[in-house]
Amino acid sequence: MLSPREIIEGYHGRPLRVMEVCGTHTHEIFRLGIRSLLPQSIELISGPGCPVCVTPTGYIDEAMFLAQECGVTICTFGDLIRVPGSEGSLATARATGAAIRPVYSPLDAVDLAAAEPERQFVFLAVGFETTVPAVCLALRKASSLGLRNFAILGANKTMPQAYLALKGSADAFLYPGHVHAILGTELCERLVHEGISGVLAGFTANELLTALAIIVLRSQEGKPFFENCYPRVVRPEGNLAAQKLIDEWMEPCDAEWRGLGRIPSSGLRLRPPFADFDARLKFHVPPITGRPNPACRCGDVLQGKLRPDQCPLFGKVCTPLHPVGACMVSNEGSCSAFFQYAQR
Amino acid sequence: MDETVTLAHGAGGRQTAELIQRVFHAHFANPNFTGDDAAVLPRPHANIAMTTDGFIVSPYRFPGGDIGKLSICGTVNDLACMGAKPLYLTCAFVIEEGFPLAELESIASSMERTASEAGVHLVAGDTKVAGRGQVDHLFITTTGIGEILPEAHTSGKFAQPGDAVIVTGDIGRHGCTILLARNDFGIEAEVASDCAPLWSAVHSLFLAGARPHVIRDATRGGVGTVLHEIASESGVGVELDASSVPVTPAVKGVCGMLGLEPLYLACEGTMVIIAPQEQAETILASLRNSPHTSTPAVIGHITAEHPKQVLLTTEIGAKTLLPPPTGELLPRIC
Amino acid sequence: MCVGLSAKVLDIKDGTALVDASGARRQVSAELLEDLEPGDYVMVHAGIAIAKITEDDAAESAKLLEGVQNVVASGNH
Repeated sequence: MLSPREIIEGYHGRPLRVMEVCGTHTHEIFRLGIRSLLPQSIELISGPGCPVCVTPTGYIDEAMFLAQECGVTICTFGDLIRVPGSEGSLATARATGAAIRPVYSPLDAVDLAAAEPERQFVFLAVGFETTVPAVCLALRKASSLGLRNFAILGANKTMPQAYLALKGSADAFLYPGHVHAILGTELCERLVHEGISGVLAGFTANELLTALAIIVLRSQEGKPFFENCYPRVVRPEGNLAAQKLIDEWMEPCDAEWRGLGRIPSSGLRLRPPFADFDARLKFHVPPITGRPNPACRCGDVLQGKLRPDQCPLFGKVCTPLHPVGACMVSNEGSCSAFFQYAQR
Repeated sequence: MDETVTLAHGAGGRQTAELIQRVFHAHFANPNFTGDDAAVLPRPHANIAMTTDGFIVSPYRFPGGDIGKLSICGTVNDLACMGAKPLYLTCAFVIEEGFPLAELESIASSMERTASEAGVHLVAGDTKVAGRGQVDHLFITTTGIGEILPEAHTSGKFAQPGDAVIVTGDIGRHGCTILLARNDFGIEAEVASDCAPLWSAVHSLFLAGARPHVIRDATRGGVGTVLHEIASESGVGVELDASSVPVTPAVKGVCGMLGLEPLYLACEGTMVIIAPQEQAETILASLRNSPHTSTPAVIGHITAEHPKQVLLTTEIGAKTLLPPPTGELLPRIC
Repeated sequence: MCVGLSAKVLDIKDGTALVDASGARRQVSAELLEDLEPGDYVMVHAGIAIAKITEDDAAESAKLLEGVQNVVASGNH
């Protein structure tokens, strides 16, 4: 019996392009040094699975508007704080007096709002299926407490349409383990019939190496495949309570992905009865179209068309300390990971 | 009602004199403490090292210490890094109006205890009172002078290929403690700051015959930042073995929850020592016998390859670069 | 996209679980999991327990790989 490393290191077959869709996979793969173990014939591509990276510039502009013009306290996951909008970031807004509060959980934002009823709080709801249930639980809590000072700025996204949009970008996907802890495995089984291969992977060294080894083995069969390599967390049916909760609060909508453009039915928005929690309506946020730096190639990087170091801005004007594009901001961003860990 | 510091305490009149008498004279009593405009001190026998550091920390009291203890350790440890025995310290306070006098006394007494453990005399001080909201409770600046051991010759520029990289104890505890003490993320863990004066530990390794090339305390930015600095200043490469870096389980757990890297969390009683490989055992043995450095470890070595970079051998034996520090530590959740 | 942390459930009350990850403790929502009991292990993301976990990662990975290697070897997939 061969070890996963032996299988990976010993692969010299036809070139294999594997796309990790999840930013946390990208991060762990770099952190563990897995790229240095890969033979020439295996290429890893970092896909669009970092919620910060796919959030359009205009979204940051909307958050800045709320913080600076409406005087609300913005509660956000830490990663969004340094993301550049059209002008400045939430970090620069904070330096000029805006109230920006990093939180660990959307539920914490509700607690903050409950403790200060005279202040308005807005939670920046980014993230995929894994994070959406936390947002819905926060909304449910705010609703049951009768809070009038809590709302969300929604930009939640869902993966199924994105997989189809990315079809052909790689020979196999490393599916994001925690998204499918909520969704289950049925979608991945269905994608096999669309000709899309992939394995569902966890995040430890063992899990990542095993998932890659299984991609190597199964791709030799010459037909589309799926394997759940993370059954200790992902059940076939997923988390039904979470699915029900999402469906109760949110409905599908078209969504703008930075770099990929508009993908139909790839986003989630509040259902009409919960419009009171929609910060855009509550604070009359004007339509804002962001102005990203035109030289930034984040879009091509996200689709695996360009390696981060092939972007003209990479490492010159765009670095983790002075990010231009979103892929450089988040620790999970493929440019940031590439800059921080790449051997060259 | 509890007594508090008022603007009058900073106005230079009778109340200022009372405050100085009650808080500082009472706690900083030593033969060199001056009532005059400047302390007059005997001339040291050797070259001197001199350093200054400002301390702001929120909250000002935390498990394992307070801003007073921190303000002594920070400056004492900076001197110790140059192989200098700390002799004299001055301190300047900026205090927010309304700060409780009892708290100020407690901070002064914590400074006194730490100074006496480090064998250093506080010789002069200054107090200013700022209006409400102009200062976060209190800021302290300390300046120190130390006498350099004749055999000590340390600098961030002196790391040599082949040297061992040693940490004097487990890393990241101070940064983790402060993060938890602010209670922004609802996480609890039994972690206390490593804040401690380390001159006796440094002295002991020179006494044991070791001649380290670099000693640096891993304060702001943590061990990772210090190693990047040294790699850059000495023009060498650093190779770290991830699995030999000592981190307590609780610090690991907190970092896991927030997506942080322990190598970038601040230490206030842990140093990085870079010394010839053959001295490593001597250094570890003498550190183990010192009170604040009982769990030292060799975590890597210096190489001539990949200059100015820090390379990490990961838990699976693969190599990756330790990313350079990126500024503000922001928890990574999604 | 989603940093997850496996943690042990210490206590459960009113849909909230106190979890421990090597000494770091936090209250997280347990509303999305049924029949959670102290001693169970869960995957936590953004303050929510999203899945109950079985087995440890090493044992599971070894078993999976062995299964696939056997199947591929016998040409049965």
